[in-house]
Amino acid sequence: MKLREIANILDAQLYSCEEKLDDLDIERVGAADMMSDVLAFAKPGMLLITGLNTSQVVRTASIVGISALVIVRKKQVPQETIQAAKMFGIPILHSPLAMYTACGKLFQHDLKDIKSL
Amino acid sequence: MKPTVDHLIDQMQSLFKDLIAKDIMIPNVVSITSDRTLEQAKELMRLKRISGLPVIENDKLVGLVSIEDIIKALEKGEIQERVASYMSIKLVTIKPDDNLPKIFDKFTRHGFGRFPVVNDKGRLVGIITKEDILRSILEEFRLLYVRDKRRSDVLNGEVLNRSLITGEEINKSGADFVFPIDYVEVSLSGVGAARLKEFLLTKGYNEDLVRKIAISAYEAETNVVIHSGSSGNIYCFIYPDYIRVRVEDHGKGIIDVDAAMKEGYSTATDQIREMGFGAGMGIPNMHRYSDKIVIVSESEKGVIVEMQFFLEN
Repeated sequence: MKLREIANILDAQLYSCEEKLDDLDIERVGAADMMSDVLAFAKPGMLLITGLNTSQVVRTASIVGISALVIVRKKQVPQETIQAAKMFGIPILHSPLAMYTACGKLFQHDLKDIKSL
Repeated sequence: MKPTVDHLIDQMQSLFKDLIAKDIMIPNVVSITSDRTLEQAKELMRLKRISGLPVIENDKLVGLVSIEDIIKALEKGEIQERVASYMSIKLVTIKPDDNLPKIFDKFTRHGFGRFPVVNDKGRLVGIITKEDILRSILEEFRLLYVRDKRRSDVLNGEVLNRSLITGEEINKSGADFVFPIDYVEVSLSGVGAARLKEFLLTKGYNEDLVRKIAISAYEAETNVVIHSGSSGNIYCFIYPDYIRVRVEDHGKGIIDVDAAMKEGYSTATDQIREMGFGAGMGIPNMHRYSDKIVIVSESEKGVIVEMQFFLEN
């Protein structure tokens, strides 16, 4: 699924890497707030839904090869985080939905988790 | 509040509980047979400068004769009597496998100055005095000291310039990649690992391998930033068969490495947890992604994590 479509489903705003909206094709998704869990279990190319909005999350994404981030639960995304995302070339989406709802909606649209592929 | 003497003894006993009678006792005890005279016993004690003698009959321990017994015999003019008639036969003995708490217990309960050590067959194999216990404890302390000293040699000395895994010499100034870790700015943790990833990708290494190395380095770097309270370095060395990553700091150290190896064990603060770390996955993650890992640490002396990643597989 194209990132643009995901942004629509999640009612999300894009903060970085607009050029990737129509390029990036997402097949698997995961949700986590613990960065070490992400480091342990994430798969390259996946989309990560997280409640964290620090620049840490971008750096973690870059290390494990996560292709895009969805930030939920937070009112805003700090400039520092957006800067890091631009630097690493990782699109950041900011969604007003709860993590559970965001996951549920993407699941309904047939996106898979990291174990099923 | 100062701990009580009882408490200290309790603690000591658990520290030295592996000490057993066989290790403490003096073997090859000077003894006398029961058919000898008290005068002969007195001469033997004088020559050997000892104050008591075990008495043997048919290879078995049957009693103890002490200077006190000799004095009594002298008073009564019975110094030519046999040892058997004056020796004390109420024997409290120790078995070769009795441990220190058990031995202590005998000393406090009976108040004797020495205890014979007797095997299953009733044969005398040694003797233990309070001095022997003290000597064994001091010896054990010396061993503990040597063990500690060896560890600080690793953390202070020349061994720092050797691989913890292969033992070969490492020239850190000749490392292929070095990154100084900034521990003051917590949010910068991961920058070093990201640089290392970039560096290895430009060298043309395969993405899976680079990812494993970057994740491991990230966890190690994060540990330095959130736990050490000191500066540190990431070093990377490239060899024909493998890549070695070494992360060193000079901070607080890991108090319990075994516990830190377990998933879920963490000493992180709430602030760190809010950043998504402190789940107790750091060292287990390094373990998961590296082919070999050695961690050396001592409280207040820092941590060295060395990992090896083989180029094949």
